[in-house]
Amino acid sequence: MEKIVVFVELKGDRPRKASLELLSETRKVADSGRYEVEAVVLGPMSEGVREKLRLYAGRLVNITDPVLEAYTAEGYSQALSAFVAEEGAHIVAAGATRIGRDFMPRVAVLLSRGIASDVTDVRWAEEPFTVVRPMYGGKVLAQISFSGSPAVFTVRPNTFALGGPHDSAGQFLEKRAGISPERIRTKVIRVEEKTKGKVDLTEADIVVSGGHGMKAPENFKLLEDLAEVIGGAVGATRSVVDAKWRDHEDQVGKSGKTVSPRLYIAAGISGAIHHIMGMGTSKVVLAVNKDPNASIFKHADYGIVGDLFQVLPALTDALKKRLGK
Amino acid sequence: MNIVVLAKQVPDPEAFVSIAGEGRSLEIEQKFAVNLFDEVAVEEALRLREKHGGKVRVITLGAARAIEVLRTAIAMGADEALLLDDEAFLEGDGTSTALALSRAASKEPFDIILAGRQAIDDDRGEVGPMVAQFLSLPHVGGIVKLDCDGGKAKAESETEGGHEVVESRLPAVFTVERGLNEPRTAPITGVMKAMKATILKMTPADLGLTLSEVGSLGAKVRVERYLAPRKRQEVRLIPGEPADAALEAARILVDVERVI
Repeated sequence: MEKIVVFVELKGDRPRKASLELLSETRKVADSGRYEVEAVVLGPMSEGVREKLRLYAGRLVNITDPVLEAYTAEGYSQALSAFVAEEGAHIVAAGATRIGRDFMPRVAVLLSRGIASDVTDVRWAEEPFTVVRPMYGGKVLAQISFSGSPAVFTVRPNTFALGGPHDSAGQFLEKRAGISPERIRTKVIRVEEKTKGKVDLTEADIVVSGGHGMKAPENFKLLEDLAEVIGGAVGATRSVVDAKWRDHEDQVGKSGKTVSPRLYIAAGISGAIHHIMGMGTSKVVLAVNKDPNASIFKHADYGIVGDLFQVLPALTDALKKRLGK
Repeated sequence: MNIVVLAKQVPDPEAFVSIAGEGRSLEIEQKFAVNLFDEVAVEEALRLREKHGGKVRVITLGAARAIEVLRTAIAMGADEALLLDDEAFLEGDGTSTALALSRAASKEPFDIILAGRQAIDDDRGEVGPMVAQFLSLPHVGGIVKLDCDGGKAKAESETEGGHEVVESRLPAVFTVERGLNEPRTAPITGVMKAMKATILKMTPADLGLTLSEVGSLGAKVRVERYLAPRKRQEVRLIPGEPADAALEAARILVDVERVI
C-alpha cells in the first residue's frame, strides 16, 4: 500500500482546520484501499489533541525534539523529511498555511523532489496522480504531475470538506527526531497574538470584506457585527489597508491573503483584479455595491445594488432573526 | 554587507492570460512589470547598504526581456546585475529555478539574500525557501521588518493573527512581504545609468550545472495541461428596497445555498 504522510499543524492546543480537512480527505481516499495515511505532529502535543487526532487518522506519529518546541523552517523540514524518507512515503501533504508554505519547499529539496504549492484539487485516482493549482492569481489552473516519489504538495485551506471524527482511534507512536541544535540557526524570540481566538481569515468558512465604499474606518463596525452573527472573519481591500483603516493582515488580494471561503460577502468593493485574485475561488459570493456597473458583480453569484449603510444593518438583522440569535 | 536580491519580471497583474494549444500552453498579453514583492526586496537591500555599506547584486532568471527588471533595480541604485541567460533555464519549476539562482548567488560571498515572498505569475512562493535549503542556510519568510547587527539579523513576520520576531544568524535568506518598506521611484539619473549599465550574463555551464539540471529538464514537477477556472454564472441581482433585498439575501444564503 502507498503511504500518505499528512503534516498536522497545531495552533495553541488545537489542530489547524486546514490540517483536519486534509486528514478528512485522505481518510476517504484511504478507504479506497490504495493508500494508508499517517498524520504527523512535530513538537509538543497535549493529550487532548492526541486523542482528537487519533479519531482522524489511521496512525498518528508525534515527532519530538528540543529543537521542535517552537516552529522553525529548518527544524520542521529536517524532522519531516527524515521521517518521510524513512517511511518511504509516496505522498507528503500539508495545509497551505503560512507555516506549510514556509517549510514544505525545504522538505522537497531535502527529499530531492519538487513541490506543488497551494493546490485546490487532487486527482487521487488518476494515473499518474496529479494535482491542480491556480496560477496568475487564479486566471488559469495548472494540472501538475510529479516526477519520482514522494510527491510533495500543500493544499489551500477550505479546499476539502471537513469531516467528523471516526469511531475508532488510530494507533499512536512517539518518535525522537534527534536534530543537533547547531543545525537550527533561527530562533523565535517573541510572539505577539493580537487577535487571540478570532477566526483566521484564510481558514474562515465565511469572510465579510469591505472596500473603499465603507468610507471610514469606524464603519467597519457594520461588517464586524455581521461577521459576528454568522461566524465570519472580516477582510479588507488594498485601498482600505493603504489608507490604514485596517491592518495589512486583514488584506485580501494579490498582495495580501488568498481566501477560499464557503461564503464571501463583498461590501463597497469595486472588484479590482488585485482583489479578485485573493477571493476568486470562494464558493458563493454576495456583493453589495451602489454602482450597478461595479466589476465585483462580474465575480459574484448574488448582488444587491444599493447603499451598504442601509443594506448591511438590514442583512445583519435579517440573519440574526433567521438564526434565532 | 553584501546583499543579493532575487528578482523577477512578471506579466502585469492586469495582463490578459488565456489557454492555448488545447491546454498545452498559455497566451499572455505582452505587458510586464517588476514583481511587486521583489521591488520591496530591492528597496530593502538599498537601505541595508546605506546603513552598513557593501554591495547590492541583483539576479534574475528569465527570457531576454527579463533584463528590464535588472535595469529597474540598477536605476533604483543596485550595484550589479546578473541575468541567467540561456533558453535552457526557462520553463523550470521551483526546484530547478532555485538551484540555478542559489548557484548564481554563491558565486560571490554574501551576507543576505532577499527575495519577494512569491512571484505573482506562478504564485509558487517556493524559490526563497528552496534557495536557502540548497545553500544550507536559514531563512525567514514573509518579513515586514528587518534589523541587522554584526552576524545576526532580527526579522519580524506577520503570523495568522499576530506577529513574531525571529533572530537569525547570517548569512541567511529572507523573503519579503509588502509593508516592509515603500519602494523608491528610480531617479532620472539612475534611469540614465541603468541604460548604459553592463548586465552580466551566465549560462548553466558558468554555474557548474548541466542542461538536465536546469529549466524544464531539471524540473521535478510538470504542468500536464492548463485548465480554465470554474466560471461563475451571471450574477443574480436581488431587487427591492434595502430591507427587502436583505431579507431575500438572508433566505437565499441560509435556505438555498446553505452556506450560513
